Amino acid sequence: MTDIVKLILDLLVFPGGLFAIFFGLFLIGIDRKIAARLQRRIGPPIYQPFIDLVKLIRKEMVVPDTAHVQAFRLAPLLGFAGMMAAVLLIPITGVYQGFGHSGDLLVLLYLLSLPAIALMIGGSASSSPFGAIGFSREMVMMMSYELPLLLVLVTVALKVGLATGGIATFSLSEIVQFQLENGALLFDYTMLPALLAFLVFIPGNMGVVPFDIPEAETEIVEGPILEYSGAGLALFKLMTSLKMVVVLGLAITLFFPTPMGENFLLNLLWFFLKCLVLMVISITVVRTSTGRVRMDQAFKFYLKYPTVLALISLILTLLQG
Amino acid sequence: MKKLLQKIAKKSPWLYRINAGSCNGCDVELATTACIPRYDIERLGCKYCGSPKHADIVLITGPLTARVKEKVLRLYDEIPDPKVTVAIGVCPISGGVFRDSYAITGPIDNFIPVDVNVPGCPPRPQAIIDGIVEAIKIWETRL
Ligand code: SF4
Repeated sequence: MTDIVKLILDLLVFPGGLFAIFFGLFLIGIDRKIAARLQRRIGPPIYQPFIDLVKLIRKEMVVPDTAHVQAFRLAPLLGFAGMMAAVLLIPITGVYQGFGHSGDLLVLLYLLSLPAIALMIGGSASSSPFGAIGFSREMVMMMSYELPLLLVLVTVALKVGLATGGIATFSLSEIVQFQLENGALLFDYTMLPALLAFLVFIPGNMGVVPFDIPEAETEIVEGPILEYSGAGLALFKLMTSLKMVVVLGLAITLFFPTPMGENFLLNLLWFFLKCLVLMVISITVVRTSTGRVRMDQAFKFYLKYPTVLALISLILTLLQG
Repeated sequence: MKKLLQKIAKKSPWLYRINAGSCNGCDVELATTACIPRYDIERLGCKYCGSPKHADIVLITGPLTARVKEKVLRLYDEIPDPKVTVAIGVCPISGGVFRDSYAITGPIDNFIPVDVNVPGCPPRPQAIIDGIVEAIKIWETRL
């Protein structure tokens, strides 16, 4: 019984649910502020995403006449729920253990594709031609970044698995445990290419500027979320902020989970700091300094560089083990 | 509670531009002058959005030519309430340099309720920002 209560609390309050939403929105606010400063603007206050949310909830939700109503209404919920579950799997060292089952990395991999699927369903259910274009682009984008992601995950799993005597571990808690005992994978030269590949994967998955092709504001007017307004749009925004936490948290778990001592709060702050640095490197700077690429360019890019980098790591790991 | 939410929500007006047959002078002023880093409108919480469904403040430029009238009216209906309309330039007010032309169906406020007029041909960026601030005040009362 207490297990279930604890699980529900984990899911809804901390570290999932409210806390994760707050965390993600805050990160997005800081991202917008830093991006503004990089462009020599003053920028919005860092609590701007919260304000946007309050406003969106107060607005009317318009459902187009030609849309498939149920799919249109359920799609944002699907993405949001998937990400809520995914946050639960991310361990914060020294604060939260993670879910602790043996295959949670694989579950996370599946959950990570839910936002893209939600966008696809929403886009195609909205019956807008822009939504349909967004749908196909989202699909191509997903196919291109999923391969390097998979390779990176397998590399880490193999690395830890081989070192601890098995074949491959798909358990996040074992991966964290291994790094706590043997030093973070960030400082292992064989893992550097994999880390780079993951860094490149982040902007693609988050859909920020060089790879925001499915939601390109200036050509297909935000594609899949074009027809969403009010509460539906708010749910998509929440989904994005949770996804931010999941993706950054996954990177930190895989490569640098080292805690900052015993203190609970200090560890939480340390986790926040790591997320922040990672976000600035892989999202903010990238998105302020580049322009959007074409779909085929992005596809080729993802199949060339991150895949090759991840493969190098994989081969090095296999040679070592 | 409602007051508080109103106070919070008014800090996030998203802008949407409708070109009702303008000569593009006002559009250039809107897109590249009033909203480039120099005048940074994002500090007011504003954001340009590509979709009418996301918009709160509608910026209309141009004299409403006969060709675009139907489309503009339809677009306007798609914007979810509560919304505020700002007419940019003299064209929406009287037709401006296109006044008395056979191709004009304006002035715009015959068809759409205009809340704020920003006169000028084209208006200065400061005037546009001022108009947006006025619009936010009106928008707050409707939220
Ligand atoms: S007000 Fe002047 S600049 Fe603006 S659209 Fe009309 S003619 Fe062009």
